[in-house]
Amino acid sequence: MKHLKKTLFVLLLASLVLSSTFAAGTKEAAAGPLTLTFFETMTSPSRTAQIQEVIAKYEALNPNVKISLVSPPYEQADNKLTLMLNSNQELDIIEVRDHTVKQFVNNNKLVDLTPYLAAWDQGDDLLPLTMAAAMTVNDTAYLLPQFFFVKGLFVRTDVLKKHGFTSLPKTTEELYAMSIAITNKAPNQYGFGFRGKGNAFKISDILILSDVANISKDNIYKTEDGTFSFSTPAGRKAVADYVNLYKKAVPSDGINWGFNEQVNAFISGTTPFLVQDPDTVGMVADALDPSQYTVIPMPLGKSGKTYLDYGFAGLGIPTTSKNKDAAWDFISFMVNAENNADFCRTYGPLPVHTSTYADDPYFSSGVYKSWETEMASPDTYVFVKYPLDSPKYPAWSQVQEQSMQALLLGSSTVDATIAQWEAYWK
Amino acid sequence: MMEQKYYRWMLAPALLLLTAFIYVPVIRGGVMAFQNYNLFDMNDLRFIGFQNFVSVITDKNINFFQILWNTAVWLFGSLFFQFVLGFGLALLLRKPFLGRGIYTAFVFYGWALSGFAIGLTWSWLFNGQFGLVNDLLMRVGILNSPIGFLSNPNLAMISVIIPNIWYGVPFFGIMLLAALQSVPNELYEAATLDGAGSIRKFVSVTVPYVKPTIVSSILLRTMWIVNFPDIIYAMTNGGPVNKTNILATQMINKVFKEYDYGQGSAFGLIIMVLLFAYAVIYLRLTEKDGGENL
Repeated sequence: MKHLKKTLFVLLLASLVLSSTFAAGTKEAAAGPLTLTFFETMTSPSRTAQIQEVIAKYEALNPNVKISLVSPPYEQADNKLTLMLNSNQELDIIEVRDHTVKQFVNNNKLVDLTPYLAAWDQGDDLLPLTMAAAMTVNDTAYLLPQFFFVKGLFVRTDVLKKHGFTSLPKTTEELYAMSIAITNKAPNQYGFGFRGKGNAFKISDILILSDVANISKDNIYKTEDGTFSFSTPAGRKAVADYVNLYKKAVPSDGINWGFNEQVNAFISGTTPFLVQDPDTVGMVADALDPSQYTVIPMPLGKSGKTYLDYGFAGLGIPTTSKNKDAAWDFISFMVNAENNADFCRTYGPLPVHTSTYADDPYFSSGVYKSWETEMASPDTYVFVKYPLDSPKYPAWSQVQEQSMQALLLGSSTVDATIAQWEAYWK
Repeated sequence: MMEQKYYRWMLAPALLLLTAFIYVPVIRGGVMAFQNYNLFDMNDLRFIGFQNFVSVITDKNINFFQILWNTAVWLFGSLFFQFVLGFGLALLLRKPFLGRGIYTAFVFYGWALSGFAIGLTWSWLFNGQFGLVNDLLMRVGILNSPIGFLSNPNLAMISVIIPNIWYGVPFFGIMLLAALQSVPNELYEAATLDGAGSIRKFVSVTVPYVKPTIVSSILLRTMWIVNFPDIIYAMTNGGPVNKTNILATQMINKVFKEYDYGQGSAFGLIIMVLLFAYAVIYLRLTEKDGGENL
């Protein structure tokens, strides 16, 4: 027993000594070059590797700066960042997303980047949309956007040809009609790649609300005269048309389709139409030959327009950072036209500089042409915002998903569903 | 005396860790359930009494009682089959046969997988368009056209319970197999001498002997099933029309999607109270005949 005690005591002592030595070691390292902590949230292994490349490039140019990248798993990243910010942990560069920016500003966590942007030589090269996204909250630039997600219509031209269609749909009416005409349940041929779960409203809203004239640019759920968008006569009719599309051109399983099922149905040819973001291009290009598909701008609704939401994420500096200027230096490097174009080329979404669309053939030709068209015609493709600053927004996805499923399954009516939505947003 | 002091010191690190990582968070969560604690706006942090509970129970858009009912169906549907099949498995594995070790390893492998991965795998198996299950049923001629297992409100709950049964059977198998192997052979010999048949031996020797294990493993499993949102989350996200939404998935929605830690904690506390009540009643009922061995 005595022997055991002695051994345990020695072990304990040893571990104490060892741990204090290691602690001293880290402190010493921090005293060397300046270390900036960079927290990314939209993580994926390939994207993290890409960011590491940019960091290596930056560190080679700035030997006295080290960037330490934090990359938590995607699902937990936003929450983890929020918690770290709220407990005032030391971060210097953080990835801010469209749905987190308001919350960070509410809690006073983001530095106003206006002076930095004004002094930046590439500031004038940013797209108008980039600046709009940067100034989402309080008309103040709290982040420098890095990329956009804007919906486009992916089309399997080979499948359409097989069914005798040579033209592509320009309006939602044509899209619906073609989808229904193609559908033939016996050989498992359907028309439209439905989205039923996981932020399904981001797809259904575009198709439905493009029929409504005068949607407010500040809030997709309001018209310019303040009516709830779905409650307008055109809105009600459009919801009914959308339900009809589901019944006639979508497998019944579609209400449980998330991103993976949608893309799978498109690649297998089961549904030749798919509404998706540009980061889907990589996946589709890996599976299909360029002659089999194309991407066209979103079809226009009966209003003659289509209202597009733009998803974005960018970089910001937390108020708690002790190295704000150094952090900006890295941000302006990572988001300069050249690095931004490289980043987006591999990762998939749309870059933020005007010059990229003019000079880089990759983004001005091929399937990206459709997104360039959408961004260059502001009267036809109107960019609108979700009520991201409403405290009701975070719960909306689930409420909309469950009520829309009830409507599609026939356990609720169009009017009752719209009434429920209107009551929710009141 | 010296010994006493020494043990206390030696226990201190464990106690410290338990306090830091279990007791403090539990108490913190309990407090949060009575606060307006929403990451969306941390400037308005204050005590609001039972408001969070009222909000989640009277939610007009997401029916709380539907969720409660779903939780009960999810629990008992999963538990019953996990137990029966797990017990059967343990009985089959009790007697040695060629390759038992390898076979056992394969059977118990499922228990080592992550719930989320299981959910993703099964959601492809049950997929209404390309799913293996539909394909097999159609090839055999049972179905003419594919079924939307996860999109049909009447089938969705069964379709998420099946993977959960598949996942939980090995747990009962492991626990009960260990208990069965500790039943002394003399008892069976004595029973044989007394003229007992195999059913009689099972009822009068095997079951009473492994009962403490049954009681404790059922209780453990109950808690785990109620607190196990992974499979549902990956397969249906609580849909269609809330038909598979259970307390645990809704709690995750509140915290991770809505950033509402107050209402999320309210769900947590509701789950805790329900489980506590369940455990008290369950132990009362089972201790009458032999459960006191626990």
